[in-house]
Amino acid sequence: MFMEMLYIGMALFLLLTLVAGLWRILRGPTAADRMLAAQLFGTTAVACLLLLAQALEQPPLRDVALVFALLAVVAAVAFVRRAWVADRETEE
Amino acid sequence: MSVSDIITTILLIAGAAFFLVGTVGLLRFPDVYTRLHALTKADNVGLGLMVAGLALQAESWAVVGKLLLIWCLVLLAGASVAHLVTVVARQRGIKLWKR
Amino acid sequence: MITTTFSTISFRVVLFAMLWWVITEAAIDSWYIGVPVVAFAAWVSLVLLPGFSLSLPGILRFIPFFLWHSLRGGVDVAWRALHPQLPISPGMVDYRWRLPPGLARVFMANTVSLLPGTLSAELDESCLHIHVLDKTGDFSSELAIIEERVADLFALDLSII
Repeated sequence: MFMEMLYIGMALFLLLTLVAGLWRILRGPTAADRMLAAQLFGTTAVACLLLLAQALEQPPLRDVALVFALLAVVAAVAFVRRAWVADRETEE
Repeated sequence: MSVSDIITTILLIAGAAFFLVGTVGLLRFPDVYTRLHALTKADNVGLGLMVAGLALQAESWAVVGKLLLIWCLVLLAGASVAHLVTVVARQRGIKLWKR
Repeated sequence: MITTTFSTISFRVVLFAMLWWVITEAAIDSWYIGVPVVAFAAWVSLVLLPGFSLSLPGILRFIPFFLWHSLRGGVDVAWRALHPQLPISPGMVDYRWRLPPGLARVFMANTVSLLPGTLSAELDESCLHIHVLDKTGDFSSELAIIEERVADLFALDLSII
């Protein structure tokens, strides 16, 4: 029972650090700072999912974490390229 | 509580502490480059410790393998994101912070 | 030195079979699909990615080195983030490659980003440009050690190049 509580507690704690990190994303000041969201969400979401997989005894959540980890790379490339291109267009 | 439960607890708490420090660095560091340092290193170590803690509780070796695979993918993603953001920030001429 | 060439089909088949085993969590009946998928993946990877060499002892030496230094990297950044005075003085450092162009350089750039106080910014023909958290540190010797480890992993000899 203690271990389940620990996993859930840790997952909630990580969510709180994620929310605190969001403040930086909102505040910027540069677009590059906002791109850090991709990084922050990627790692924290994976950790949360792995904790929940263990706590709720739902092994498929590990596969969700795996897909998240894979998508983190793709999302980052798309994010950086798109933000960069969009920004250039508005400047010109 | 078994020995492995105690080790898992310690590893999970240490991992969470690194996630917290990553966020503190993200909020406190002065420019995008230094914030990337905080996020990449602290979060990757945090996830690594959590993966190690959860691996001790895993029901099979295949699950241990899957946890390690996930960590490796996140490491690859972290290094790639850090590199991409740095390149874009430098192309845009974002200056390095000086004391 | 025991080296494994990634160009050999058998090495790739073993690698993809291990991946399949992990992803399916060792489900026996999944191999009906797994065998053709592994064979196809090995064939596609041979077409898409040309062969390179990996050294097995090099891999075994690299893993503890990497784990220890990434932990150091985490502790280092934690200390700086939590310190009231924020002890950082960022700067750029250029490191001249000894590694040949290709996968080994990309691998080194990624490794550098995860180790203490360094972040790979740009890679060009002659140099790796690195952002450092504290430019007062001695990075050249540390980077040289990382480069030697990466060369060891890819079964390359830096003194020849």
